[in-house]
Amino acid sequence: MKVEDLINIFRENETRVSSELTHVWAVFWANFKIFLSYKTWVIMETISTIASVAMYSFMGLQVDVKRVALAGYGEVDWLSFALVGVATANYLWMCISRLSHSLQHEVREGTLEPIITSLINMRSYIIGQSIRGFLVSGYFMLGVMVVGLLILKVPLVINFGTLLSFVAIILLMVFSYAGIGMMAAGLILVYKKGDPLTFLFASLTEFLGGVLFPLKYLESFPVLYALAWLMPYTYALDAARRILLNGVILVSPSVLPDVVVLIIYAVIFIPIGLRVFKWGVNRIRFEGTVATY
Amino acid sequence: MDTNKLIEIISEEVPRRKIPIHQIVLSFIVRDAKIWWTYKFWLLLDISGIILFVVTYYLFSLITTAQQIQEAGYMVGGYFTFALIGIAFQEYVHFAVQSINESIREEQWNGTMETILSTVTDFKIFLLGEVCFSFIVSSAVLLMSLLVGLALGAKFYVTPFSILTTVILTILLIASHMDIGILSAGIIMKIKQGNPVTWAFSWISQLVSGVFYPLGLLPWYLEWIGRAFPLTYSLDGIRLCLQSGKDLTSPVILSDIISLIIFVVIATPIALYVFKIGYDAARRDGSLGQY
Repeated sequence: MKVEDLINIFRENETRVSSELTHVWAVFWANFKIFLSYKTWVIMETISTIASVAMYSFMGLQVDVKRVALAGYGEVDWLSFALVGVATANYLWMCISRLSHSLQHEVREGTLEPIITSLINMRSYIIGQSIRGFLVSGYFMLGVMVVGLLILKVPLVINFGTLLSFVAIILLMVFSYAGIGMMAAGLILVYKKGDPLTFLFASLTEFLGGVLFPLKYLESFPVLYALAWLMPYTYALDAARRILLNGVILVSPSVLPDVVVLIIYAVIFIPIGLRVFKWGVNRIRFEGTVATY
Repeated sequence: MDTNKLIEIISEEVPRRKIPIHQIVLSFIVRDAKIWWTYKFWLLLDISGIILFVVTYYLFSLITTAQQIQEAGYMVGGYFTFALIGIAFQEYVHFAVQSINESIREEQWNGTMETILSTVTDFKIFLLGEVCFSFIVSSAVLLMSLLVGLALGAKFYVTPFSILTTVILTILLIASHMDIGILSAGIIMKIKQGNPVTWAFSWISQLVSGVFYPLGLLPWYLEWIGRAFPLTYSLDGIRLCLQSGKDLTSPVILSDIISLIIFVVIATPIALYVFKIGYDAARRDGSLGQY
């Protein structure tokens, strides 16, 4: 057979015009199917989630309620206070780390090179992966909330207004950290060494965000206290607690300042994250290290 | 070329010298230390992660009351010392269980396991060598956690006998958890996948062994389940030593020690048997080096 004939067989008559939406859907669906195939992992993580909520409920039996009141949300019990913190912190950690974990996986399995050489642009890839991350993390956050509300009878204020406001805050929190997730992914592509940046952020978030204790107690460490209020998570958690513990909504004066800060962080970090990710992709393509780990 | 000539060229003239076990183990330790040292940033992150964890529970202790802790018989140091001992020793045993699994998984992943096992190195010595360095690191981490705790105001009731008893309890704690590690390593060899045994063990023991709260706070059925885990007896004994100054002469401590010995005596043959099945199956399938 002549080479020209062979080329003609493989040649496409029409240029592919799949929309970006189709690409996003394809990336999301492909990765979601992979997630669904890890049934043992899903079961194990679900049980872990239930066990962790149970553990916090026993820890709460040792807490002095009057000291929790220092957090500024009134006389709420510690388990409600911690449940909102744990649910949001886990959600954030999973969202940020999901993108970098997936990339590590793609590089290790040798599937990143075909993706990069295909017509799918990296923006669609990131969005598709991120949507998968939001859904998977959302499943576990819902798990924490359901166990807390239905089994442990945690007194959270749940109505249409607070639910809508809580979802909006979660979205704003994710957007304010999306840039960091993309930065981590870009760095992983180049340096191929785990995801230290996301790990560091997860530890700092849990510690400085006041997941388990009121931030008032951090005031005796002025540097840490200042650092805590530099993190967008602190504002997101404050807003989420005001909504679910006090029953206020997104446009309430006590929540609005937090919303503004989260929007500012999102506007600053997303372009930086995209640039770092683009830099990472271009660099590995230039160096020819797309498939090496 | 003549086959005999070829064999003559590649055959060893000097018979292989029997290398003492301690030298082989030392080689493993040096090798792992060198690899570990190349990941300096990770080392820094590990250390900062532990410090953050301890400081988080220090701040959490500020909103707790010491009443339940004292009712459980741990007299000195309040909740922070109680949680510090729980966190530090739980992390220690987590390392003990994980180190065996992770070292096998890494060797399989990197394709170096088959190479090592095709040398004269015995598998038991290979396992011992793999685990030793992890223990050195985790012991250093344990010490560091306790020192950070001390700096933050943790209080211990220290006498020579309470320290001696703590050391004995720690050895039993490691021995009992090594069995879990060996058992799960045997499963990994065969199924080549994540490890449900280690996972289930670490989560359930965290929930029911009293790492973050005294056992008395648990409902009776969870407390009962907790009594099947060696971490429960170890933590109780270590806390009674370090928070109440008890030692080997105390009946409660003796009871904890006997429970741990019973666990080790029962679990060791089971773990070794499961491991042997996994190891033999992997050798038979020719999948020892696959992951």
